Amino acid sequence: MFVYEKKLQFPVKIKNTNPKLAAVIISQYGGPDGELGASLRYLSQRYSMPYDELKGLLTDIGVEELGHLEMVGTLVHQLTRDLNEDQIRSAGFDAYFVDHTAGVYPQFASGTPWTAATMQVKGDVICDLTEDLAAEQKARVTYDNILRLSDDPDVNNVIRFLREREIVHFQRFGEALERAKEKMNQKNFYLKNPAFDR
Amino acid sequence: MDLESMMRPCDDAQGKLPPCAPLAVPYVPVQQTGSKRYNQMDALASGTLYPALNLPFHLKVAPSSLAESAVLELQALQFVLTELGLYLDTHPDDKEAFSLFQQYARMATEGKRRYEAAHGPLTQKSAADFDRYVWLDSPWPWEYEKEVAR
Repeated sequence: MFVYEKKLQFPVKIKNTNPKLAAVIISQYGGPDGELGASLRYLSQRYSMPYDELKGLLTDIGVEELGHLEMVGTLVHQLTRDLNEDQIRSAGFDAYFVDHTAGVYPQFASGTPWTAATMQVKGDVICDLTEDLAAEQKARVTYDNILRLSDDPDVNNVIRFLREREIVHFQRFGEALERAKEKMNQKNFYLKNPAFDR
Repeated sequence: MDLESMMRPCDDAQGKLPPCAPLAVPYVPVQQTGSKRYNQMDALASGTLYPALNLPFHLKVAPSSLAESAVLELQALQFVLTELGLYLDTHPDDKEAFSLFQQYARMATEGKRRYEAAHGPLTQKSAADFDRYVWLDSPWPWEYEKEVAR
């Protein structure tokens, strides 16, 4: 069960519209390493997790990622408010504008709609946690690259926060994998899949 | 700093690994108990409660500046709760961290009560504490303050 709180996790207040920047930031909304995929990956992987620490961590990080999805949607919304004629024609935004006007749609920066093919739920403890470690790194690099492309300090404040969260999540998934390994066969972690072989 | 953290063998930015680690599986060092912590505003501005985990990108090394708003203090308190919660998920037996979690939970509950009394409900249910259905009132979280007035 989820209960909505009418506030953001971190303040987003963007003074200047910049549709060209919105057209790349949309990738962290619905792109290959974005927040929608992150939340669905973790919230879906929970069901096959055999250990309480992992059920808890995947739930808590999955929920936080939904909060990040809202922050990225807010960035795109505020960067595209009150657009003038020149701005909707600007290179990098016209293709998005023709399909979505100033709406927020989950897609890659390249225009491909969000797809579950960018994430995996393998139903195996070591495999799913290794995927999660990689996912946090991929999102971290996307935020690095947004920082390379953005010269708006209001946007950078938010992106820096989101990027740092990827590093903290990587640390916690790594620790969760350590906790899981403590419960597995110490001579051969691959003897069984504890999510399936009871 | 407590005795435990003074006695520990590794630096604050280092963690623990098994001395003889089985092959062919990933390892991330486990954060030690008693790590240094930021206060709640610095934690929110840094994106982490822990200086040891604050690893910025070269193009943006300084902490974020936080846009002033009525909800900022509550955001900072709840952020510390989120961070402590994730830490406790992988360190459930750390008593010091749990007692801090209890302390911040009380502050966040009080902060939420104060915010709602002055600025309206954070959840649909708490709209019941008002004399009309104020849940729908702007601003919604994604709105830039000026667009609310139009």
